[in-house]
Amino acid sequence: MIYSTWISQFYSVLLLICSVITYVQSDVPRPRGVSLSKAPLYSPTKDFTCFDGTITIPFSYVNDDYCDCFDGSDEPGTSACLNGFFHCTNAGHRPQNIPSSRVNDGVCDCCDGTDEYASEVTCSNTCEELGREARAEAQRLAELYKAGSHLRVELIEKGNAKRNEMAEQLQQLEKDKSEAEQIKNEKEALKNELESKENEALKVYREAEEQERQKKAEEEKQNNIKESLEYFTKLDSDKDEILTVGEISVSSVFDKNKDGQVDEEEVKYFFGDRESIDKDTFVSVTWPVLKPLLMMEQGMFKPAEEQEELEPEPDADEAADLDTEYTGQDDEASEGSDGAHEEVEEQEVESEQTNIYDEETQKLVAEASEARRHHTEAERTVREIEANIRKIQQNLEKDYGLQQEFATLDGECHEYEDKEYVYRLCIFQRVTQKSKNGGAEVGLGNWGEWAGGDHNKYSIMKYTNGVACWNGPSRITTVHVICGLETKLLSVTEPFRCEYKMEFSTPAACDESSPSSQHSSHDEL
Amino acid sequence: MKSWGLLLVAALAIGSSFGVHKNNFKTCDQSGFCKRLRSFKPEKSQYSLNLDTVIVHGNVLSAEVNTVDTTTQKRIILWHYALRLSALVDGTFRVEIDEADPLYPRYRTQLALNGEPKADGLKIVSNENGIITVANSQGHKVIITAEPLKLEFVNLAGDVAVILNDNAQLMVEPLRVKKERVDDEDTNLVEVEEEGTWGENFKSHHDSKPRGNEAVSLDFSFPEADNVYGIPEHTDKLALRTTTSGDPYRLYNLDVFEYELDSRMAIYGAIPVVYSHGPKRTAGVFWHNSAETWVDVVNYADSTVVSSLVNLVTGGQKRRVDTRFISESGIVDAFVFLGEKPADVFRQYTQLTGSAPIPPKFSLAYHQCRWNYVDEADVRGVDDNLDNYDIPADVIWLDIEYTDRKKYFTWDPIKFPHPSDMVANLTAKGRKLVVIVDPHVKREAGYFLHEDATELGYYVKDKDGKDYEGWCWPGSSSYLDFFDPAVSKYNSERYLFENFPGTSKDVHLWNDMNEPSVFNGPEITMPKDCRHYKPPQDGNDGLAAFWEHRHVHNEYGLWNVRSTHEGMLQRVDNKYRPFILTRSAFSGTQRYGAVWTGDNAAEWGFLAVSVPMCLSLSVAGVSFCGSDVGGFFKYPEPELMTRWYQAGAFQPFFRAHSHIETKRREPWLYEAPTTALLRDANRRRYALIDFWYTLFYEHSVDGLPVMRPLFQEYPHEEDTFTIDDQYLLGDKLLIRPVVQPGVSSVPVYLPGAAQRTLWYDVDSYHAHHAAGYFTQDVTISKIPVYQRGGIIIPRKERIRRSSSLMADDPYTLVVALDVNGTAQGSLYIDDGESYEYRNNKYIYAKFKYESNAMTYSFPNENAHYPTRSWVERIVIAGIKTPPKTAKLHQGDKQLSLQMTLHKGNDVLVVRKPGANMAHPWKITFSY
Repeated sequence: MIYSTWISQFYSVLLLICSVITYVQSDVPRPRGVSLSKAPLYSPTKDFTCFDGTITIPFSYVNDDYCDCFDGSDEPGTSACLNGFFHCTNAGHRPQNIPSSRVNDGVCDCCDGTDEYASEVTCSNTCEELGREARAEAQRLAELYKAGSHLRVELIEKGNAKRNEMAEQLQQLEKDKSEAEQIKNEKEALKNELESKENEALKVYREAEEQERQKKAEEEKQNNIKESLEYFTKLDSDKDEILTVGEISVSSVFDKNKDGQVDEEEVKYFFGDRESIDKDTFVSVTWPVLKPLLMMEQGMFKPAEEQEELEPEPDADEAADLDTEYTGQDDEASEGSDGAHEEVEEQEVESEQTNIYDEETQKLVAEASEARRHHTEAERTVREIEANIRKIQQNLEKDYGLQQEFATLDGECHEYEDKEYVYRLCIFQRVTQKSKNGGAEVGLGNWGEWAGGDHNKYSIMKYTNGVACWNGPSRITTVHVICGLETKLLSVTEPFRCEYKMEFSTPAACDESSPSSQHSSHDEL
Repeated sequence: MKSWGLLLVAALAIGSSFGVHKNNFKTCDQSGFCKRLRSFKPEKSQYSLNLDTVIVHGNVLSAEVNTVDTTTQKRIILWHYALRLSALVDGTFRVEIDEADPLYPRYRTQLALNGEPKADGLKIVSNENGIITVANSQGHKVIITAEPLKLEFVNLAGDVAVILNDNAQLMVEPLRVKKERVDDEDTNLVEVEEEGTWGENFKSHHDSKPRGNEAVSLDFSFPEADNVYGIPEHTDKLALRTTTSGDPYRLYNLDVFEYELDSRMAIYGAIPVVYSHGPKRTAGVFWHNSAETWVDVVNYADSTVVSSLVNLVTGGQKRRVDTRFISESGIVDAFVFLGEKPADVFRQYTQLTGSAPIPPKFSLAYHQCRWNYVDEADVRGVDDNLDNYDIPADVIWLDIEYTDRKKYFTWDPIKFPHPSDMVANLTAKGRKLVVIVDPHVKREAGYFLHEDATELGYYVKDKDGKDYEGWCWPGSSSYLDFFDPAVSKYNSERYLFENFPGTSKDVHLWNDMNEPSVFNGPEITMPKDCRHYKPPQDGNDGLAAFWEHRHVHNEYGLWNVRSTHEGMLQRVDNKYRPFILTRSAFSGTQRYGAVWTGDNAAEWGFLAVSVPMCLSLSVAGVSFCGSDVGGFFKYPEPELMTRWYQAGAFQPFFRAHSHIETKRREPWLYEAPTTALLRDANRRRYALIDFWYTLFYEHSVDGLPVMRPLFQEYPHEEDTFTIDDQYLLGDKLLIRPVVQPGVSSVPVYLPGAAQRTLWYDVDSYHAHHAAGYFTQDVTISKIPVYQRGGIIIPRKERIRRSSSLMADDPYTLVVALDVNGTAQGSLYIDDGESYEYRNNKYIYAKFKYESNAMTYSFPNENAHYPTRSWVERIVIAGIKTPPKTAKLHQGDKQLSLQMTLHKGNDVLVVRKPGANMAHPWKITFSY
């Protein structure tokens, strides 16, 4: 008992706890709970200085079940210090540092059972067994990684090829774009030239048109006055060229609220503050408010309120739209439809104008139209090329792994079903969930970033900004990517509300140099 | 756990804001009897005692009381009543007034009392001029004025402490037969029936009121009182406010979704006990009634009380508080406590209704809860993370989602297929599981509970006698009628291990929603005209054959937890102590379980109110109280979460809980610095776990609050009368939780200046001389806690994963010296879970420190417990002249001890005395 930290004890209970010296298999005697590497710091021939240097105590105070050091370094083998650690060798398996509070607490924490040397439990040494299992698991993993790494090499090749292809495509597209732009510019110049000629030719017609329009307006105005005067005369029963309250109250059209009588308010509505009105005032004040009522009576006009009530429905559609996810493709689709819309309008204009002009103008218009069409087409070509460029650029910007090993997975979709839902993971795109009982697809997130942290960045994918939860944040999904020979979605859970967790295996993750391939095979004695 | 409001969520999702839906709940005006009786303020009481009928037999004076028509000169007796005045032990009297010959028996609350109250002697002292004076064996007197009836209770000093019917508000509405509408000639008969007598409506609900009006009321005046306290559960201050403007305080157990602060609205619990206190004396009244009750308070010191009224009633006297209880049914049954100190009245109340038995030790540790830990993997993950992040915890909880589609006593077969294994995994680390069982029963064909209850007639019946159907978590639900002994027994037996597979002695229970909560019922509870069991008896037919829900409402949850308690005892052959958490509470609930303050929110106001709410419950017998740490609704940001853990660590029931729709907030989900602060708060709790256990042992013996208002210990210090943001644990620690954001200091009131009390900051051992308020600087890690000079507190400083793993650990004894250099303390030790303490297998030890020696002794020589714990360290704070040597004596052994003096703060540390705590010891000091 050379290194005994024995001090005379008062009670047998303590005797048990404080018989400190242990001989571990490595034959280096050291205080209980101290690792081999720290053994030199505990020299029985000297006083002990706490690791933090604050206090020096007799060596007999080491592991005497009383905490003297603020850093807990004097009690590596007991539970006396709240902030201390106990080292278990765990021969046959991995060594461990457990918090001192787990020493002699009645729970076997170390597989060699050394943490429970003075409690009521008897711990069996399970290190050999656990070690064996761990080694077998490490072996299995190593083999898996090895097999997987061959597939991974293929994926890397394909990934690089895909990337190169994209780079080439991009180059080609850039070239196409500049050509297309050139064409577009030419077409534009031509269009502008022909349009100015067309404008010149149409000027005459447009002026004529304008005169015609003014004429029509004047006629309409005169008609209106005429109509109003006729109506005035009809109402002016005493023919004194003045309309009085009495005269109008016989006509039901003035009974706006249809209560069977023309009351003060109604009179005011039609007469302003006047008692009676003459012809001019009738035309300028009364007629404009009367006419719609007349038309309504004749069934030609519907009151405005009723029409408004019909409006709100489209909102519902808009709201429904909010639930669906927008992607780049959707954008293109909508751009496309915009283009189609323009075209239709242009055609309408043209068709209206046919047959009105003389032959020469007709020809100019036709030429201009032709030029416009060509220009539009050229513009569309440029837009299409630009869209393709954007798409490829986006893909090129994506992080497909250090060696492009994940590149070929882009756009691949994998499904997983549980009791209630079908989950769909489209790699580097989006995650969705669809109830088996029907209902719309719910977005659980769009591709965000790799989130495995510094030690293993490519072990976790994060899909963010899914559909928002009630009273909560947007749904997100984390995909844990593990090495497997098959590319497969293994499981889906919702550990936190609206935060989904997926396990996904792929040979792309079988990187033999990654930390996850190694953690089980190290640390062994 | 939660309220029914979730069901509304979809409807309210747009534009909804946090807050109670007040119009779901009645105001006094909407509650027929409250409106009717509150306005009843006669100048002179109609009630008078017939002196010729007075009989004193044993401890009871009985007499006939009549109502007399005061509007005529002729003496017309309107109705006959029976009065009983009983003298009970410990300065307590009981006053009962029932109809002399009621049409049907009126309901007498059944479970509140902890057995028959113990009788004291009673004798007539004098009987002259229409005034009878009686006295109990101690010398407390009651002066009974016959006409109008008035009872004055006189304490030992000869002062009137409580007056009954001084404001003439005694009222017992006689039961009557409903008169059918008759011919016009007899309209005078019909006129007696006020509208609402035979039926009332609230919102879409109709209450059929088959017995008509049957309300009771009485006023209690407290001369020379500064304040009154009690009648929980409300979110108001500890000291009750004058209610002349607005509604009275309401007592009616209700599931109030998003309840509001500073309110006199009824919430989950209803405990009808009120205490008065002034510098001269303390008194109290327990209104023994389980029906809906409203309580008015008029404090004459309050500026809102019209001064003319003060002059009229008290002749200008400013110190007085009047209260008035109005209940919908039952009889007048009031216990009067004559104090004279606060601790006396609190004890007098628990003498009657019982105190909490020693809880299983784990239940005083930290509880980790959420609605819901979703499956077994989740539970395992939480359990593992508690260890990974070194957060000590004793219990993981399962809310309603563990069941097979809300059928209690079943497990979700997919999410919880192996409950026994899950429990074993927890118990391997000394942890426990608590599962919820609510009193509503899913009406589903094939569910054994529903089929049994239907077949055996075990459900509460509706007004027509059919099984009542309400709506709760499972959808269509019915409710067990625990008032029937057969139902209660049946329910108890559901807890037997063979009937609830997957449970073991380490699985404990949570009875939530037991107000009862009925989502589609009036005021979210059961209709008042539902029928409960009444023991069959000759002549009890028709309306007399059952009790209505209105009679028993506030007692329903108590019947529920009593049945659960019985079942949990049965399942372990009465060997192990059960733990039950209940949301509804009534007088007597404390005998069966802990109470928490229901569905609060992650807001600073709710953290702050947890203190007055629990203080109010504590003085009303419920010491085992806490709030959902972190807040149930909403998400607590790190600072609020930190302050809530720090506060919760020093409140009796310490459980973190959250709503299913909120973000997860287990301690490790915060940034590391916050997690460290939460860990530190938990560690403080665990270091004091034996201190808490000792407090609860002492409570089980003396019935005094564990969590105490300052005025309990400092009854003459007027500043303390309204302090409810700080409190005492026992008479030992003073706690002032930080309940505001962003503060760098808080005002702390240190009481006891007159006694030259010292208060030691537990972090620094710095001694403050009590002198009222001082400013305590705080950082985010600071919890202002002070140990009273003169107190010794046992600590365990080796914080393990759970409290049971610390059972054998050594103690650090913190001795805080008073101005005389002395201190004392106590420590209770037993196995933490069984009833073996009843067989003297426990230690209740006293510590005593004087300058020449410190002793550890067992006052009860027959009680022993073979603990392996020992004394690791003794910290003596406030020592002016340190001893030179210290020597331990235990048995015939002696040992010299080492000591270290810390000059900066006068702290002497005795290193490792090593004495075993199973036996007495002594340390002598020489100078």
